[in-house]
Amino acid sequence: MGKTSKKTKIIINCILSILAVIWITPVFFAVLNMFKGQVEYNKGSFWALPAGNAFADNLVYIRDNAKIFQGMLSSLLYAACGAVFAVILGTLAAYAIAHLKIKHRMFWFMVIYSGTIFPFQIYLIPIFRGYAKLGLYDTRQGMILFYTAICIPFVMFVLRNFFKGISRELSESAKLDGASDFQILIKIFAPMAKAPISVVLLSQFTFCWNDLMFGLTFTKSREIKPVMASLSLMNTGHAPAMLMACLVASLPTIFFFIFLNKNFEAGFAYTGK
Amino acid sequence: MTKSFSLKKYKDYLYIAPAVLFVTIFFISSIIYALRLSFFEWDGFSEMTFVGFDNYLKLFRDKNFLTSLTNTIIWVGSSLVLSLALPLLFAILITKSSWATGFKNIFYFPSALSGTVGGLLMTSILSIYGLPKIVGMLGHPELVRDWLAIPYVNTFVMIVSGIWQGLGLNMLLFISGLRSIDSSPIEAAQIEGAGTFQLYTKVVFPLMKNTIVVVLLMSLVNSFKVFDNIWIMTKGGPYRTSETLALTMYEESFIRNEFGRGAAVAIVLTVIVVFVSYFNIRNSFKED
Repeated sequence: MGKTSKKTKIIINCILSILAVIWITPVFFAVLNMFKGQVEYNKGSFWALPAGNAFADNLVYIRDNAKIFQGMLSSLLYAACGAVFAVILGTLAAYAIAHLKIKHRMFWFMVIYSGTIFPFQIYLIPIFRGYAKLGLYDTRQGMILFYTAICIPFVMFVLRNFFKGISRELSESAKLDGASDFQILIKIFAPMAKAPISVVLLSQFTFCWNDLMFGLTFTKSREIKPVMASLSLMNTGHAPAMLMACLVASLPTIFFFIFLNKNFEAGFAYTGK
Repeated sequence: MTKSFSLKKYKDYLYIAPAVLFVTIFFISSIIYALRLSFFEWDGFSEMTFVGFDNYLKLFRDKNFLTSLTNTIIWVGSSLVLSLALPLLFAILITKSSWATGFKNIFYFPSALSGTVGGLLMTSILSIYGLPKIVGMLGHPELVRDWLAIPYVNTFVMIVSGIWQGLGLNMLLFISGLRSIDSSPIEAAQIEGAGTFQLYTKVVFPLMKNTIVVVLLMSLVNSFKVFDNIWIMTKGGPYRTSETLALTMYEESFIRNEFGRGAAVAIVLTVIVVFVSYFNIRNSFKED
């Protein structure tokens, strides 16, 4: 890019610094208020420093009343299983579509990819009804199966693009050496795809962890509800505890944010669905 | 020989079978079920009655649905401007600043949080004693009220507050787009004396056309599907004035038990999204 004069650079730095302060404010607001008591906050002390320290009370509240930690454990199970199963099944499909002798590969690609084209809202009613009939409504198995299904198309899409970039000669020469298709996938392709596989794994985990709509619709009991659904059902009259719960529930995704940031610059582009 | 050959052919399909099975059971059959359901009247318990196109015809005479459709168009229209112009401006400023990585991380950070968390944070800040109080102290006492509870205005409040979380991804894509363009045409234009504005509109933006098209189509498709933020911030209220199609579908089906109507709304939304996605998909598979 062209050169920027010193004066322009200073102006730009100033504008961005002001915006950065605005950008941090909501998080600062949450941190500030999670130390306050319910009464103090409701009296309208939003921006003042906390008068006492209700941190421990709020922590007990989000554990016992709002069941946030239980929700986090459930979400951890659903998101980890969903992302891992989807990566396994998505990788198999991507490998076959990119490198094996399959007829109408574009058709099969579109069948799997179609899962991401339709607005997710349309799946709510049919799956809700189906789950109710099959006894999967409000169960852990039901949530894991669903998150696996919803992550598969995206995993397949990203990895197919990656596998297509690997030359055919590589797999053909391995085949001449007597390797089977499955061995080629496990021993050659998968290790080469380490970076994209880690990125989709983390991005799909984050997607499941952050999901509200499906968690809200396919579960009923507090023990089964994933964390975002529990969070959305919290009593808004107790804002300090709610803000604390927001921060606590975001810890894993913040952790991944830092991790992804360090390791894969390009990884961000994959996180959008 | 022939036998092992056909067995081998069959084996290759085993790799795609689980994925195809999952997608067919969960999604493709869902679309068919929802399409069928949209022609019935059903409360979820009693007998289903076939009503033909009644659900659809009634929708277009329903005030709530028309409000919802209008709101959806407002969301989509403003997201076109906000998801292109603002992130592009931020990206340009960041690439020219002296602390690019730091600024980039700060502006991207909210995108790492969930829509639920973003919505809850914004709800607290926008309630009376938060931002409205500050605006009141700056000399506008008439503005000290719960902004999210004002019908029709709250849609715009949500759109603007959504920038906080929605800006990050597009900004990141634009930054990498800006960094990957070839610098020689820019230098040539500068030598010929092009001003900053001209430099961007005539040289830089045309060079970034691909990134811009990808971001535009992606944002367009996503803006039809906004659910979490609105559900958290207003639940579509007050009096169903801030619903979008995604919310209306949820409201009709799971709050009012009008499953046929809900399915009809879902089908309308799907038709629109698939129409827009067509351009998106055509664009992303140009090379295939």
